[in-house]
Amino acid sequence: MAEEKKKLIQFKNIVKSFEDGQVVLKGINLDIYENEFVTLLGPSGCGKTTLLRILGGFLQPTEGKVLFDGEDIVNVPPYKREINTVFQKYALFPHMNVYDNIAFGLTIKKEPKDVIEQKVMRMLRLVNLEDYAKRNVTEMSGGQQQRIAIARALVNDPSVLLLDEPLGALDLKLRKEMQHELKYIQEEVGITFIFVTHDQEEALTMSDKIVVMNAGEIEQIGTPTEIYRRPVNEYVARFVGETNIIDGVMLEDDLVVFEDKKFRCNARGFEKNEKVDVVIRPEHLDIVPRGDGMLKGVVKSQLFKGMHYDTVVETRVGTSITVKMQVSQDKPVVNDAAGEKISANGFLIDVEDVSELDDAKIVALASAEAWDSETEEPVSIKTVVNDIKGETGNYTVTFSTAAGTSITVKALVVAENRVVSKVYQEEIYAMNFFKKVEDIQESMALDTDLETWASASAWSLEDGEQVEITDVKYDFDPETITPGVYDVTFCTEGYEYKVSTTRAAEEGSEVGLIFRPEDIHVMKKGVHR
Amino acid sequence: MKKKSSLLSRIVLVLTLLFFYLPILYIIVFSFNDSRSLTKFSGFSLRWYEKMFADPTMMEAVMYTVIVAVLATAISTIVGTITAIGLSKSRRAVQLLVERVNDLPVMNPDIVTAISLLMFFSVLAVRKGLGTMLLAHIMFCIPYVMLSITPKLRSLDPNLIDAALDLGATPFQALTRVIVPQIRPGIISGALIAFTMSFDDFVISYFTTGNGVNNISILVYTMSKRVNPSINALSTIVILLITLTLGIVNIVPVLREKWSAKNQPVK
Amino acid sequence: MKQFRSMTYPYVLWISVMIIVPMLLIVLYAFTVSGNDVLTFQFTLENFHRFITDSVFRAVLWRSLLIAVITTLICVLLGYPIAYIIAQMGEHANTVMILLITMPTWVNMLVRTYAWMGILQDEGVLNSLLGVFGIGPVQMIHTSFAVILGMVYNFIPFMILQIHTSLAKMDKSLLNAANDLGANPVQAFLRVTLPLSVPGIISGITLVFLPAVSSFFIPKLLGGGQYVLVGNIIETQFLTTGDWNFGSAISMIMALIIMLSMYLTRKVDVSAASNGKE
Repeated sequence: MAEEKKKLIQFKNIVKSFEDGQVVLKGINLDIYENEFVTLLGPSGCGKTTLLRILGGFLQPTEGKVLFDGEDIVNVPPYKREINTVFQKYALFPHMNVYDNIAFGLTIKKEPKDVIEQKVMRMLRLVNLEDYAKRNVTEMSGGQQQRIAIARALVNDPSVLLLDEPLGALDLKLRKEMQHELKYIQEEVGITFIFVTHDQEEALTMSDKIVVMNAGEIEQIGTPTEIYRRPVNEYVARFVGETNIIDGVMLEDDLVVFEDKKFRCNARGFEKNEKVDVVIRPEHLDIVPRGDGMLKGVVKSQLFKGMHYDTVVETRVGTSITVKMQVSQDKPVVNDAAGEKISANGFLIDVEDVSELDDAKIVALASAEAWDSETEEPVSIKTVVNDIKGETGNYTVTFSTAAGTSITVKALVVAENRVVSKVYQEEIYAMNFFKKVEDIQESMALDTDLETWASASAWSLEDGEQVEITDVKYDFDPETITPGVYDVTFCTEGYEYKVSTTRAAEEGSEVGLIFRPEDIHVMKKGVHR
Repeated sequence: MKKKSSLLSRIVLVLTLLFFYLPILYIIVFSFNDSRSLTKFSGFSLRWYEKMFADPTMMEAVMYTVIVAVLATAISTIVGTITAIGLSKSRRAVQLLVERVNDLPVMNPDIVTAISLLMFFSVLAVRKGLGTMLLAHIMFCIPYVMLSITPKLRSLDPNLIDAALDLGATPFQALTRVIVPQIRPGIISGALIAFTMSFDDFVISYFTTGNGVNNISILVYTMSKRVNPSINALSTIVILLITLTLGIVNIVPVLREKWSAKNQPVK
Repeated sequence: MKQFRSMTYPYVLWISVMIIVPMLLIVLYAFTVSGNDVLTFQFTLENFHRFITDSVFRAVLWRSLLIAVITTLICVLLGYPIAYIIAQMGEHANTVMILLITMPTWVNMLVRTYAWMGILQDEGVLNSLLGVFGIGPVQMIHTSFAVILGMVYNFIPFMILQIHTSLAKMDKSLLNAANDLGANPVQAFLRVTLPLSVPGIISGITLVFLPAVSSFFIPKLLGGGQYVLVGNIIETQFLTTGDWNFGSAISMIMALIIMLSMYLTRKVDVSAASNGKE
């Protein structure tokens, strides 16, 4: 379709840097044709709005040309351009009513009154607001203001309409309605719409052409289908739609390896043994009996979505680590003379961490606290006396208040208190720890507290990034726990596939996954930006 | 308990108002005094009003006060509005610079501003008089106008000018048709502040005038050594005018609201 | 947007000529020898030295500061309850009261001060009133009392308005929250209302202290010809003696003292705020 049409707008190597030296556009080249619905898609700060404002004439590019019908318009002021804009939050003139807002451009051009009225009324009909002409714009709802803004721009007969995140301020239901309405209006008036959004669903629904932008550059230009089915890199694949991205290696043309298995695919032009990202969309995966599966796994969760189930299948378990928790029941020390009580527990500490120890850390590790016996109001701990040295052994720590109420606990300095576990590309780490019965009973968010007490953390060995600990397992009842030693296990998530299927499957059941060669999309490894 | 405290509050408020209005009542009462005394009321008369209108220095002072106040208000409102709008689109550094410099006459004691101008005019060998006084008034009024307009500009949708330009308005049209109507309340209150600042100014006028040009404040100051009840008469007229203006300013919007409420169908 | 930026250029030029140059003149004159003309100035610290060493000037400066501090204190102590009472009233009464308090300030300050001259005379209204009770006549005019009264009268509206603004914009639900958390009305006032109105008090102090310390017509009208504050010395230097250099130096000293006290007041504000957090 697009081939027959002529190029209306050409961006030639547009660079824009701001006064503070920040470069927001790094050489944009883009052609836009007549009568196209083009969407600039990207996260906030990617430069899409800047590009739109350059086209509208509100910003000057630092370098490059903007051709409109073949002529450079960089130095043409906005009020002389045949382009109109629907602004973010609409920028309606609050001191004018609906009619006057829409008539503004025509009044400026000094068109005859009857012509203005005719055109404004036609626009009001187009956006379904005939009865609201004399209303104050500030009294209108978000959706209505949106339509007024569109009418106000379209009434001037622009050859291009720019829309800067126009649906951003609307609620979900209205947004969906407006998507259809916008598409309808565009077909009705037959001009080019350039639409800026960070919402991939909006982009896929309305556009003839999507331009995916990231950090001042264009990642991919294509039809919604192309962008969705053949993203050029991980960034585009993740930004547009739900997806599964798996690390793989290209063995030869049309043959890729992932999860230690070879799969046929449609992919050429890669080097032998090139590391690649493999994309499989959830709706291209299906669940079959385990024996028939190309991949095998366990159903982790399934959510009913009406038309289908959103299922998560785990093909590999995550990393986990188990530490010992020593639970004690220390009675608080009572100082009747001062009317105070104080309590603390013993604690473990790694030799390596001794040097970083200060009073505040010791108080925290020992959960030391003092309070007034009568009022239960906390009393501050004034002194911390300890003989902890940077070598393994048993030490004592004494906490006392200003009134002389004190308690002494043990501190164990151990050589290797941390436990590390490495599975696949992940490492997890945690420490054994001491705790008081009350601390466990009184904890409001035990999983999180256990993580903190054990200093548990996990990270990827591939890129060093933090990996979330998704599960904390223990076999005691926190309400009725008694002193003793307990195991606490921290786990991360394994390899998971999102599957969109019509087949119901029990959580925990063992299943197989299948997919077709043409549904495997192979991409070059992108550099993370 | 509640009753008691509200009675106490009432007494405090009555005393407060008495304190604030005592001098004003005093001025009004003694402007009708038959004798020259400022302490004994010896009968009603309008002689000080007659005297006042017959006194050319007083009438001149009134004239100069009004001329300076009107001109200073008009000029500082226009310049202040234009500058404030321009500033809202300027770089942060320029905004800060202008704000800081504007703070100088606002934050400094009047007498410091006054002597700085006195020396400035003298160094330039400008003959002091109506012109220098007017310049000085414009100088200290503009910052107040801008202080009252800038917040209004800040609260505007930053895209409003762009929207107007986008719809074909030239930058000038964008200002007159979109921005100025939006910040009109700020401009009006800025003009009002400028007018009262100029009308009441004593210190800066006193140091920057010359050549026999006096405003009302200077007249009061120089006459204070000799008893002159005409000042009371003049002040009473000023008080009357101010009360009328304030009354109108405060009552008209209320009336308008009532009127429009009557004429609009309830939604 | 470039065309809008250029709208500021005339004013930038204007403030350079009409504000910055005159202010620089004060500095220039303060540091140069008297009697020189502008082009042959000679650097000196003599003007400052003279002011600091002369006991008469020191006494005047001290008295000006004392009067200003007393005025400010009275304004806070009287202004706060008044502002508080007004803020407690209904919306309509609130507007009316604020209007009633603002109205007198629209009348020329000189005129109102002039009226106090008559009221405070030995045989004036106030003394006749006291006479009814068999007191007096008390000498009021030409005393520190009269000067302080004149200043409080002229400047307290600023204090009331500032405190009232900070009290009025306070979220009323904060007090409910404080009561809900067990604070009695006095505690709620001390722990919630008062700390939140500190910014209002601070800007009120600024607005009162600054004109009080530099005022020269109030002392002249109500204190009499012999009653001299810093402002009066400056006036004399410029309009009678004609010693601009010395006058500039005094102005600079006064401006510095004011800046310093503003800075200290802000400091108090900040530390009061951080104390509240503990």
